[in-house]
Amino acid sequence: MTSSANSPDSIVWRSPRFRQWLDRRMPPANSITLDQKKIFILPTREGIFFSLLIVFMVLAGINYQNSLIFALAFLLASLLMVSILHTYRNLSGLTLLAGGTLPAFAGEDAEFTVVLSRFGARTYEALLLGWNRELLQGADLLEDEEVKIKLFVEARKRGPMNPGRMLIQTCYPVGLFGSWSWVDLDMNTIVYPRPVPAGIIPVASASSDDGELVAREGVDDFYGLREYRQGDSLKHLAWKSYARTGELLTKQFAALADRRIWLEWEFFPGMDREERLSRLCYWVLKLDASDDEYGLRLPGVEKTPGRGPEHREEMLKTLALFEVEEFEAEQSAVVKDP
Amino acid sequence: MTGFQIPRNSLAWMLAAQSAVIAPHLTRLPYWTIALCVVCVLWRVMVYQGRWSYPGKWVKVLFVFFGIAGLAVGYGTFLGLDPWVGLLIMMFVLKLLEMHHKRDGYVVILLGYFVALTQFLYDQGIPSTMYMFLCVTMITAALIGLNQTRSHVRPAQTFKKASVLLMQSVPLMLVLFVLFPRISPLWSVPMQTDIAITGVTDRMTPGNIALLTQSDELAFRATFADEVPPLSKLYWRGLVLSRFDGESWTQELPALYGRLYRPGQTRTNWQGNMELLGEEVTYSILLEPTGQNWLFSLTMPEGTIKEGIGLVRDFRFYSFRKIRSKLRYELTSHFNYRIDRELSDFWRYRYTLLPKDSNPRSKRLAKTLRANSLNQTDYIRNILRRYNLDEFVYTLKPTILGDDSIDEFLLDSKRGFCEHYAGSFVFLMRAVGIPARVVVGYQGGEYNRIGNYVEVRQFDAHAWTEVWHQGQGWVRIDPTSAVAPSRIESGLESAVAAENTFLSNLPLSWMKYRQILWLTEIRLQISAISYYWDSWVVGYTPSVQMSLLTKYFGDLDRKRLGMLMLTTFFGLLGIVAIFILGKRSHKLLQPIDREYLRFCHLLAKQGLPRSVGEGPIHYAQRVGRLRPDLADAMEVVTDAYVRMNYAEDHPEKADSLRTAIRAFRFRTLSISS
Repeated sequence: MTSSANSPDSIVWRSPRFRQWLDRRMPPANSITLDQKKIFILPTREGIFFSLLIVFMVLAGINYQNSLIFALAFLLASLLMVSILHTYRNLSGLTLLAGGTLPAFAGEDAEFTVVLSRFGARTYEALLLGWNRELLQGADLLEDEEVKIKLFVEARKRGPMNPGRMLIQTCYPVGLFGSWSWVDLDMNTIVYPRPVPAGIIPVASASSDDGELVAREGVDDFYGLREYRQGDSLKHLAWKSYARTGELLTKQFAALADRRIWLEWEFFPGMDREERLSRLCYWVLKLDASDDEYGLRLPGVEKTPGRGPEHREEMLKTLALFEVEEFEAEQSAVVKDP
Repeated sequence: MTGFQIPRNSLAWMLAAQSAVIAPHLTRLPYWTIALCVVCVLWRVMVYQGRWSYPGKWVKVLFVFFGIAGLAVGYGTFLGLDPWVGLLIMMFVLKLLEMHHKRDGYVVILLGYFVALTQFLYDQGIPSTMYMFLCVTMITAALIGLNQTRSHVRPAQTFKKASVLLMQSVPLMLVLFVLFPRISPLWSVPMQTDIAITGVTDRMTPGNIALLTQSDELAFRATFADEVPPLSKLYWRGLVLSRFDGESWTQELPALYGRLYRPGQTRTNWQGNMELLGEEVTYSILLEPTGQNWLFSLTMPEGTIKEGIGLVRDFRFYSFRKIRSKLRYELTSHFNYRIDRELSDFWRYRYTLLPKDSNPRSKRLAKTLRANSLNQTDYIRNILRRYNLDEFVYTLKPTILGDDSIDEFLLDSKRGFCEHYAGSFVFLMRAVGIPARVVVGYQGGEYNRIGNYVEVRQFDAHAWTEVWHQGQGWVRIDPTSAVAPSRIESGLESAVAAENTFLSNLPLSWMKYRQILWLTEIRLQISAISYYWDSWVVGYTPSVQMSLLTKYFGDLDRKRLGMLMLTTFFGLLGIVAIFILGKRSHKLLQPIDREYLRFCHLLAKQGLPRSVGEGPIHYAQRVGRLRPDLADAMEVVTDAYVRMNYAEDHPEKADSLRTAIRAFRFRTLSISS
C-alpha cells in the first residue's frame, strides 16, 4: 500500500480490512470532493448527553403532564436531527486539493499544503484537519473561495514519505454530531536522514582530484554578503541585515581553495548504515554552505561533485533513498519483534 | 488545556441567555440566591477581561455552601419544587466559575436548557412561551458560538444561525408534539410548594366574597355543546357550606359524609338519591389552577367525570389532588332535578343546627315571622319580600359587623353582599327548623362569541342557598335575586353600577371598559386565542390526543401511533434535508462568474481542469497549447469574460459571454462526435 513507515496511522482505525475498504471507497487522488460516499457522521459525546437531556425532559413532561415541557423537549430533539443535516452540509461539496509539500530531515516536521475550495454559495465553518488528532488545524471558508492550509507532520524516518489518510472533521454548528472523512490526497515528500555532526572529515580520505589536501575546520572567516539563494543554510543568513532592510542575504565565509571533495561511505568505519548516512548528511549540509564542489560515493552509487541547491537536493535525496527498502524492512521487523 | 477560554461569542450569549432564563424566576428566588447569581456573573466577566482569575477551591466551596444555605433559609424546606428549581439555577450560575474546558461550556448550556424548562412548570401562557423560545434561541447561539472558530466573532450572525436552526426544527417539533404518544404520569414529582389559593374557599365569612369580587382574574371557561343557556340560569355550584359557628360558614365534616362516589369504582348508598329530569346540557370546563380541590358544575350534574375525581354526598365534585394546573373536564347537567327527597332525622338535625347563644334577635325575628306565615313556602316568600322591600341594600361596601353579625345585618345595617343575604337566609330557615344550607360558587359569566364559550371570572363569585322541602328535596333559593335582581340577570357590574364600586381597586382592568366596543372586541379576541392555546396546546392531554387522532386516523393503538409519528417525522426531515442540502445556489456569484465557472466545469469534463489559482488568461493559454483546436473559441470566451469582469464598461453584456460559451460548447460537441 502507499502508506510507508512514515505514515502516522493513529487517525484511522488500524484494522487492515477497514483500510482496504476505505481505499476501495475513496482511492487516493490529488483532488477530492466530499460527498455522501466519503462523509461519515456520528453523534459526539456531547450529542449523547444532549439526547439524555431530551429523555429527561420527556420524562418531566410525562410526569408533570406539561405540554410545553414536551414542546421544548421535542424542539431540542428536532434541533438534534436538523443539526445532522447541517453538520453534514458543512463538509459536503467541499473540495480538497493537494498543494505543495516540503521535505524534512528525520525528526523534524514535513510540510504539506492542502487547498480547501468551495463552489457556489455554500460556506464552511470550523473545519479541522490534519494527521494528528491532537493537533488539528482549523479553517473557515466564509468569504474566501479557497484557503491554503499548511499542515505539519512529524517525519520519523528517512525515505519517501506519504502521510496517508488525513482526517477532516467538523462539529459545526452545534457540536452534537461530528462529521468527518479520511482523505488521501496522495501527497508525497521525501525525508532526509537526520544530520549528525561528524567532526572533521578524515584528512586522508577527503581527497580531491586536483590540488593539495587541506584540513578543513569548518568555515569561519566571514568576508562578505551575497543575495540569498534557495538552499543556502539558514545558519548563514544575515538576520540583522534582513531585519534592517528586508532583503535576504547570505553571509559568505572565506572558503579554502576551491576544491572537489568526495564524501565517502568509508569515512565512518565501524558504523552501521544509518549512522553513516546521518553523518554524510551532515557533511552535505556543511559543504553546501561552503563554495566547494562535493560528490558522494556510496556502495553502488556515485554522484559526481557539484554545487548549488539542485545538487544539494540530489545529494540529500540519494542519501534518503539509499537502500531504503532494506531499511524499511528492518524497521517493520523491529516493530514486530518485541 | 488549562488555558482554555470559552470563545467570546459563546460567553456573551451564555451570559445573556443565563440572565434571560433566570429573570422570570427572580420573584420566587431568595435574595441570597439572587445576590450569588450576580456575583458569579460579574466574576465571570472579570475573568474574561483578565482582571481576576478563577476563584480558588475554597471560595467555590464557600459559594456552594452559601448557595445551599441561602436556599434552605429562603424556602425553609427542600421538599417541593421551588427549592429544587433554585438549586438548579444555582448550579447553572456557579458552573460559570468553573469553565476550564470546552465540556464545561456544554454543561452550562445543557443546564440552561433545563432551567428554561422549569419556567413552564410555573407559566404556560403564550407570552411566557414566546419569551422562552427567545431564551432557547440565545442558549443555542451560545452552543453555536462554542463550536465556531475563535476568530469568528459576530454575535448577531451566530444568533441568526441559531434562529435558522430552530425555525427548521419547529415543523418537526410540531409533528412530535401532535403524534408522540402521550401517557399518564409514571411517578409522582415534586410540585410547586406555595401555589396561590384562588377563587372561592371553604369558609364564608361576611366580607370575603365581596373581597374576591375585586379581582378580574379568570376562574374558568365553559364551552357548551349546544346553545348557551341564559346567564341567569348559570349557577356554578362549587361548595356546600352547612356548618355555622356564629361567624363563618364551613363545610360539613367529611367523616359524616362518608365515602365519595366514584363511578365504576365505589358504590355508596346515596347516589340513588339524585333524580335528574328534563333536558340535559353538555359542556366542558377548563378550570384555572385554584390550589384547592373542588370543581364547579351546573346544577345538577350527572355523576360521571374523569379519573381522580369523585362525587361528594352533597352532589358536587371533588378532586383528590389539589388543582395546580389547568384542568379540563366534561360534564352533563340537568336544570330539573330532585335530590334527597327523603332526609333522615340525623341530617335533618345537622341541617337545622345553629349555635345556641348566637344572634338571639334574629332567632326571635324568625319565630315571629314564622308565626305570621301560613306555611313554609309563605314564610320563605315573606323573608324574600322583606329583603326586597325593607331598605336592604346590595353593596360591595357592607358595614363592618360585630359578633352577632346576622343580628346586626338583618336588623341594623341592612347593607350587605351576597354572602350576607345567603348566610342570614339560611339562619332564618334553620331558626324555625327548616333544613337549609349555603352554596358558594359562581353565577353567570360572560359569553365570548369569538371563542364560543362562557368566561367566568372571580367577580362572578356568588353565594346562594338550598332549602329542603318535604317531597321536593333540595331547592335552590337565591336571596340576592330578591334584593338585586340585576345581579342575576346581567352580572355584578350593573348591580353595583350606582355605587360605582365594580373593580374599584383595578382602575386599568379590561373589564371596566366593557362599554367601549372596540376594546371589548380586542379583549374577546385575546381571550379566545388564549382559550384555544389552553385547550389545544396546554391542554393537549392523553385523552385529548386520542380523541383528536381517532377523529382523523380512526382507531389507533400506541404502536400504530408510534409508526405514524416516525414516518411523518422522517418524511418531514427529508423535506427539511432537501431544503438545507439542495440549496447549492450560486447566490454569492455574479451571473458572469457563474457562467464562467460552468464553462470551466465543461472543460474539466473534457479533461482540462483549471488548476488551483490559475487565472483565466493563463488557463486559456494552457488549454490553447494542449488543444490547439479549441484555442480560438477558448480565447473568445476568456476575452468576453475578462473584459466584462475587469473593464467595468460592459456589465450588461453577459449575453455575449453566453453566446461565446454556446459557440464553444458547439465546437467541443462537434469534435467529440
